[in-house]
Amino acid sequence: MKTYRDIVGDGGSNIVEQVTAQKNRLKARMDSVRHIVAVMSGKGGVGKSSVVVNLASALALQDYSVGILDADINGASMAKMTGVRGQALETGETGVMPAMAARNLKVMSIDLFLPDDSTPVIWDAPTQKDAYTWRGMMETKAIREFLSDTEWGELDFLFIDLPPGTDKLPNMLDLLPQMTGTIIVTIPSELSQFVVGKSIRMAMELLRTPVIGLVENMSAYMCSQCGHEEKLFPGSMVEELAKRHHVPYLGRIPFDPRVAVCADEGSFFLEKHGDLPATIAIEQIAHRVGEFLKQQRSGDTDLRRL
Amino acid sequence: MKFLCVECDEPMKLTDTKGPDDGSMTVVFSCPECDRKIAMLTNQMETQMVRSLDVKIGGGSAQEEPMAAIRNSLAQKRDDIFSSSMHSHEETDQSESTSKCPFTGAVADAFEASSEIVWTRQAEERLGRIPPFARSMARQGVERHARERGYKEIDDAVMEEVRDQFGM
Repeated sequence: MKTYRDIVGDGGSNIVEQVTAQKNRLKARMDSVRHIVAVMSGKGGVGKSSVVVNLASALALQDYSVGILDADINGASMAKMTGVRGQALETGETGVMPAMAARNLKVMSIDLFLPDDSTPVIWDAPTQKDAYTWRGMMETKAIREFLSDTEWGELDFLFIDLPPGTDKLPNMLDLLPQMTGTIIVTIPSELSQFVVGKSIRMAMELLRTPVIGLVENMSAYMCSQCGHEEKLFPGSMVEELAKRHHVPYLGRIPFDPRVAVCADEGSFFLEKHGDLPATIAIEQIAHRVGEFLKQQRSGDTDLRRL
Repeated sequence: MKFLCVECDEPMKLTDTKGPDDGSMTVVFSCPECDRKIAMLTNQMETQMVRSLDVKIGGGSAQEEPMAAIRNSLAQKRDDIFSSSMHSHEETDQSESTSKCPFTGAVADAFEASSEIVWTRQAEERLGRIPPFARSMARQGVERHARERGYKEIDDAVMEEVRDQFGM
C-alpha cells in the first residue's frame, strides 16, 4: 500500500508554497527594520509595557525612527499608552499604515481594532467551546499579519511588546528568526527574579538569541519632596542575577507615579518630565541599548546609523 | 493530508464540500479508479482549527487584502477602523476565495458568505438589547439559523423564530 510520500505532490493542498510565501512576505517587510527588539518579562505586572513605551520614546526623541508592535493580544495597552486609541488606519501601497504617535512613533495594536475600552478580543467561530485548541493559532496569525501587513517603512528600531510568559519568545522567534535581541524586565521581588531567571535561560541557552540586557523596574520609591529613596521590595539582587547569567545589567528605574499618569493619558513621560531620576534612568538605559546594538553591528561607527 | 483508496492503492480526489452546518464541514473524496466515495466530517473545533491556519488547501500564494484575517476574524470590532481611503472587503479581488480550495478554501468561503446576510434595522435594534459580551455569539447564532434555512435577510420574523432559543 502506498505511503504518504509515495503519492506525488502535496495532495493539491499547496500549503507549503503558501507558508513559504507568508514567510517571504514577513522577511521582506522586516528587511527595512534595522533592529528588532523583543521586550519580555516572564512575569506579569513588572511594568514591561511601560518600559517599552519609555525606551521607544527615548529613542524617538533622539530622532531615531521607532515602531512598536503590541504582541500582547489579550492585554493590549500600547495604543492607550501612546495616545493613538481611536485613530483611523489608512492603507498604503503595500499594507496598512501604522497609527502615528508623537515624535513619529509608529504603533500597531489589536486595540486599534476594538470598538470600546471594555471589549475583549473574541475571535469569530461557530462555537467558543474548546476554543483553547485554536485561540493560540489565531493570536499568532494576528501577530504575523501585524508584522507583515503593516507599512512600517524604514525603522531604526522595532520594539515588540511580548505578553508575560516564557513561551512567548520562542513563538516570536519562529516568526522572526532575524530578531536582533531581547530586553528582559523584572522588578526586585524574589518571585519576579525567580521567573525571569527562566526567561533568561530560555533566551540564551535554548534559543541562543542575544539578550541585550536586564532592566530593573520599580527599583525604589523616591519622595517627590525631599528625594529620599525608599526600597519598594526587600533586597535587590537583580544586578547579581544579571551577572549570574552573564547578561548586561542595563539599569534600574525608580518607581514614579507620574510614569503611570503619562501612560494613562497617552503622553511621553520623558517629554513631560525631563529632569527626574526616572527620566535620567530611562535615558541611560536607552543609551546602553544603543551601545549594545552598535557593538553588535560591527562596522557601524555612528550611532545614528544603528 | 491525503486520502488513499486501499483497494485500488490510488490517491483519492476531492469531489465535493458541504457546509458549514452548525460549524461542521463535509468533504467528499472519491477514488478515480473504482469511484468509491468517502466523506470526512469535521466537528466545530476541527473546522475552526483549519480556519485558523490562514492557508487555503489548493489555494494560491497571492496576497489577500492586508490584515484580512484580523478584520474578518474579530467577532467585535470598530466600525471605523479604516479611513475612507480604505478599500472595502467587497471591493477586493475574490479570486483567492473562489479558488479550487478543496477544504480550507471552502471553509473560508463558507464563513465569508455569512457576511452576505443582510440585517434589517429592526433586527439590529433587537440584537442591540443583548449585553455586549454576548452579542457577537448571538449574532452568529442568528446568522447560522438564517443560513440553514436559506434566508438572505434577517428581519423581525427571523428574530421571532430564534427568540426562544436566545431569549431575545
